[in-house]
Amino acid sequence: MRATIDRCLRIAGLAVLVGAAVVAAQQAPPAQVSEQEILDGLKADGSRWLTFGGDYANQRHSPLTSLTPANVNRLVPQWTFQTGTLGNFETTPLLRDNVLYVTGPQNVAWAIDARTGRQIWRYRRELPPNLTACCGLVNRGFGVLGDKLFMTTLDAHLLALDMKTGAIAWDATLEDYKRGYASTLAPLVVKGKVIVGVAGGEYGIRGFLDAYDAQTGKRAWRFYTIPGPGEPGHNTWSGDSWQRGGAGLWVTGAYDPELNLLYYGTGNPGPDYHSDSREGDNLYSCSLVAIDADTGKIRWHYQFTPHDIHDWDATEVPVLADLTIAGQARKVVMFANRNGFYYTLDRTNGKLILAKPFVLTTWAKQIDSDGRPHLEPGHVPDEKGEITCPDITGGTNFWPPTYDPGSRLFFVNAREVCAMFYAWKPDYKEGERFTGGAAQRVTGSDTKAIGALRAIDPVTGERRWQFEYLSPSTAGLLSTASGLIFSGDADGNLLALDSRSGKLLWRYQMGATMHGTSPITYMLDGRQHVLVPAGTTLTAWAIPAP
Amino acid sequence: MPRRSLTRAVPIVAVVFGVGASLLAAQGAPAKNPLEGDPAAIKAGMGIFRARCADCHGVDARGVRGPDISRVWAEGRTDSGLFQTLRTGVPNTEMPSVGARTSDVEVWQILAYVRTLAAPGPADPPRGNAENGERVFRANCASCHRVNGKGGRLGPDLSRIGAARARDAIVNRIVGAAEGSRPGYEPVTVTPPDGQPIHGVKKNEDLFSVQIMDSRERIQGYEKDKMKAVQDDKKSAMPPFGSDRLSQSDLDDVVRYLQGLRGFDPAVKQ
Repeated sequence: MRATIDRCLRIAGLAVLVGAAVVAAQQAPPAQVSEQEILDGLKADGSRWLTFGGDYANQRHSPLTSLTPANVNRLVPQWTFQTGTLGNFETTPLLRDNVLYVTGPQNVAWAIDARTGRQIWRYRRELPPNLTACCGLVNRGFGVLGDKLFMTTLDAHLLALDMKTGAIAWDATLEDYKRGYASTLAPLVVKGKVIVGVAGGEYGIRGFLDAYDAQTGKRAWRFYTIPGPGEPGHNTWSGDSWQRGGAGLWVTGAYDPELNLLYYGTGNPGPDYHSDSREGDNLYSCSLVAIDADTGKIRWHYQFTPHDIHDWDATEVPVLADLTIAGQARKVVMFANRNGFYYTLDRTNGKLILAKPFVLTTWAKQIDSDGRPHLEPGHVPDEKGEITCPDITGGTNFWPPTYDPGSRLFFVNAREVCAMFYAWKPDYKEGERFTGGAAQRVTGSDTKAIGALRAIDPVTGERRWQFEYLSPSTAGLLSTASGLIFSGDADGNLLALDSRSGKLLWRYQMGATMHGTSPITYMLDGRQHVLVPAGTTLTAWAIPAP
Repeated sequence: MPRRSLTRAVPIVAVVFGVGASLLAAQGAPAKNPLEGDPAAIKAGMGIFRARCADCHGVDARGVRGPDISRVWAEGRTDSGLFQTLRTGVPNTEMPSVGARTSDVEVWQILAYVRTLAAPGPADPPRGNAENGERVFRANCASCHRVNGKGGRLGPDLSRIGAARARDAIVNRIVGAAEGSRPGYEPVTVTPPDGQPIHGVKKNEDLFSVQIMDSRERIQGYEKDKMKAVQDDKKSAMPPFGSDRLSQSDLDDVVRYLQGLRGFDPAVKQ
């Protein structure tokens, strides 16, 4: 290695002028990204953000304290980066060694100088013209290990890019995009493997979670979210409906290194609304699955919405924490679900600890002691339509919540919206939409759709405070140890709130909503920065240097 | 050279003369350029080529940051294939599609013009031993240049160089007869206020900052007002390999090796 570097310098002709002394003075590049760094999560020095949720627990809670409720109103923009592409950010940027690594819409990606917002390299994937990817040509971020970045693509590939140049190192095919498969989530890198899943629950896919060797791109294992013949749970699908039952995986999960378990929320069963063809619970759709990181074998599952008929994917972000409940130390996973319920589960075995609505739920008022929702009558979509709360987008969705281990509060952007759901019998045609219905937001003088940032106590499920928005927000969150929460409303405002009270401290009109994106925060040249993806822009904020 | 091609193209003019617009509008690209040799089309194509293609391919089509395209016919490409390339672009490269707003007639006009710049097939038989060339490359070049995912990153990736550059262009670059560096590889020295100069290649720059890859491959941005100096270097980061460093036969060998590099397939075979 040493010899290679020396030769490189000699050949570069630079050493001719400057001599060997200078060679030693060049600042050593940082070592390659190690697994330990990812395990360590967000360090107090604020020097990095290396995985989707900041850490494997997905807490998105920064230990940084330079920015406080007292000084947050002094934030000023440092720079703005424009994508120059069609479509909006849904990404979580990564930061290392003062360089940002960012994925954008249409599988464009960048390395950006965090000091100035200037591009270092740009990658653009040539996408096939007949792409059928549902729900936006988006991407939710990079994973990283060694000298490689990992990115999923809209044509259902997993790419490894050279961190220094953006060049492709390897290109693995997940599935055939022509059959309705796509991939949009940020890869999770665990023990030398890159964990990814597929979207396409509206296209009759059979969902799966895959693990690929980070070095070579070879597949290590695959877990199908719909059990095949002979496997437990297969009999929860009538006929051959399991073959195109959906249950995609399009939001990054969590990982517990001690238990060596991955936690992923799964998508809706298909067809979404007309369910005569798929009688049964439809495992493991709308579930949280706990998967052995080494083998890909399922350890346990908890199904939030058995036999879902409202398109309530459980593709929200699972958040891990250790809590004391009734005097007992519990390893839990917290989950605010699209179906309107907040859940605290025991993450060692999947047993329900508590479940409570965090928005108005008309389809079920409670979860029974056996862990199943107690269904209310009259909430089955048909051709005439039926009104159910929450709506199709749900009580919350894929935008990340946060958890503050100091105050032991779970924060989530919630929506209070109801919808008229319709269903009709669909025909399956490979690669085409396969939903069997539709939903429409209910509007009228007595039904207002609002949103709110809610602080939930995960031990009781009670709401501690809320900050109400004019209309339902789809922004993700960031919280800090100094008692700040950054959020966005549905009207393009970036907001900073006091996480202990929910009081608004500061705002700025970004000109676009932070749809599905959370800010990240880090230290750069001694100042705490907040980086905000909104629409087609990334903006870095900091308090001016004295 | 271009003149010779032009005269060679003249007989074909007679063949296609009189091809009407109705044919051009027909579905699917004809096998041969219906406008080849048409003086008006060549003139129109020259305008489009210079405005939209020459930045990368050079006014003489011999390649700047994009490939040398003067030899595409000599290498066996067909008119209809090239038409398709212009229509769709080249995946995973900087070569974009001409776009939907560019008409089929305009695409043929571009090709009619490029045809006038076309070089004949290589007169000399290929020479050199690619196997030894690869050894020479590994010993002298690979610490800065990457091929198929292996090697340094300070210089351009050469995995496609055989498709992108003609032989004489490759030779000129190696022996130091070619001037300048392509964007992204211009040499620069940044001197921090309290440190030794940092040498590298420039990835981006504006009035206030510069983004570089230094000679140890660290990518990093620097604010100019916080540096003692930021200076463009005159000498390319690539040293000349004259006859004192590379024998004629080693040069032939390494060029032969490079000519065989036609692209990197990163697809993982499961």
